[in-house]
Amino acid sequence: MAILETQNLIKAFGALAAVNGVNLRIEAGTVHSIIGPNGAGKTTLFNLLTGVFPPSSGRILFDGRDITGTPAHRIAHLGLARSFQRTNVFPAFSLFDNVWVAAFACNPSWKGLLWRRPDQYPEVAARARAALADVGLADKAEVPARQISHGEQRQLELAIALAAAPRLLLLDEPAAGLSPEETRRMIALVRSLKGRYTIVLIEHKMDIIMTVSDRISAMHFGSLIAEGSPAEIQRNPEVRRAYLGGVAA
Amino acid sequence: MSRSTLAILAAVVLLPLVMRHALGSEIWIFAIFGLGLNLLLGYTGLLSFGQATFFGSAAYVAGWLLKHLGINAFAALGIGVAVGAASAALVGYLCVQRSGLYFIMLTFALNQLFYFVAYQWTSVTGGEDGMPGVPRPAFLGIDFKDPLHYYVFVSALFLGSLWIMRRIVGSPLGKILQAIRENELRAEAVGYDVARFKLLAFVIAGAFSGLAGVLYAMLFGIVPLEAIGFVASGNVVFATLIGGSGSLYGPIIGSFLFIWLSESVSTLWARWPLLLGVAFVAVVLFFRGGVVEAWSRFWSWRSSRRKI
Repeated sequence: MAILETQNLIKAFGALAAVNGVNLRIEAGTVHSIIGPNGAGKTTLFNLLTGVFPPSSGRILFDGRDITGTPAHRIAHLGLARSFQRTNVFPAFSLFDNVWVAAFACNPSWKGLLWRRPDQYPEVAARARAALADVGLADKAEVPARQISHGEQRQLELAIALAAAPRLLLLDEPAAGLSPEETRRMIALVRSLKGRYTIVLIEHKMDIIMTVSDRISAMHFGSLIAEGSPAEIQRNPEVRRAYLGGVAA
Repeated sequence: MSRSTLAILAAVVLLPLVMRHALGSEIWIFAIFGLGLNLLLGYTGLLSFGQATFFGSAAYVAGWLLKHLGINAFAALGIGVAVGAASAALVGYLCVQRSGLYFIMLTFALNQLFYFVAYQWTSVTGGEDGMPGVPRPAFLGIDFKDPLHYYVFVSALFLGSLWIMRRIVGSPLGKILQAIRENELRAEAVGYDVARFKLLAFVIAGAFSGLAGVLYAMLFGIVPLEAIGFVASGNVVFATLIGGSGSLYGPIIGSFLFIWLSESVSTLWARWPLLLGVAFVAVVLFFRGGVVEAWSRFWSWRSSRRKI
């Protein structure tokens, strides 16, 4: 069944429809990629799904429940977490604190918010450590986030999203700006998450898309122009015209 | 017990030996005021230029009740804290809707609004003349009119405030506020209602300001109009930045320097704020972490020299 569904979703900025009538169904347990040239509206779509701003019209259903217009901070509590295209961490915090804050946000109880010490929430600490271990940063837990490499910051970006123990993970270009070696590591990482989470992935790097995706939707000028398996998308002439520009990957 | 705690306890004990009791009291009162501001400035990254709103409101309300209804000192403190928190909830609710420069200007503008209410409402506040005749009632047989007794009372409340603030900044709330300071967008995305947390920080800071305001009114026996003016708001920001907004103890050091200098140097040299101006420029240019940072840099410089 569909864990996430959008119905005729539209977001207009003035005369520009950045997202124009998108109908998307994400099946539970799959990795569903969204591709498209720069400016196709992919990140705007993520911002709509995570409540950064409300859509101009249309509906968003999560688990069959209408979440249209729910503010960003409540979306996280529903089990929908995202990573960002531009690295977006807490720079002065240690890596552990970066994920701890995210894990605490989604803890069912905030008892002791004003007087307990952070180490008196063992379940939060355990979730934080597990998230760091998942992305392979466990040994750097005490290092401040501003001191690690760009590649590691991209991994941390992902760990912050994982720490919320989400049911749906929205990843916005996790491999942006990574070297070939780091990209390989990121692919392995996303693959290791496959099956444990439902993942919606925005990515430009075709090697990632083609190796991890179950389904691919292609966007162009705010609209979905094609949907299918990786092989189908690779063959689709319209996608080639819009996105691959003739030089198919 | 940590070294900083010991240093503060020592200062509390030694201060009455080296300066007038009233001056010592003023330092700790101003430090309570600074502790509250620093939760906003240092921990949440919110520059409020309107803290005197809560300081002054609490001083007026509790002062009036002390004077006209003869309530006891502890009731006055409780009322002051409540008035500080309530006025901060009101002002904060409006201010946290905006951020950056607009936030700062809103705190300032609302401070002016409260100031002019106090200025105009002469039948209650005394307007420009202030509200004199605030008593320091005895409690449980302790005579607070004795400057040393009052000093002990103020110091105990200061230490209590410091302990509470340390618990708060060391709690999950403290972490969340710092996360908001570090990256507001991400804090919202991981599931924190940023506006609400800012408001909570505002209310806590307001409660501390209110406590300081009542103690101030009882110390001087008067609520001067300046207690609610923007200069008082500026002074606490100033003192906190000089002391170091990045640490829990910064505002305490800043308060000590600010009050002590304004008392001792001002009698020798009328233009003493020039000194503060120079100190402020030095902090902004070289020591963003204030005296606390300058101090730790000095020590690491010394120990590195010793090794050579």
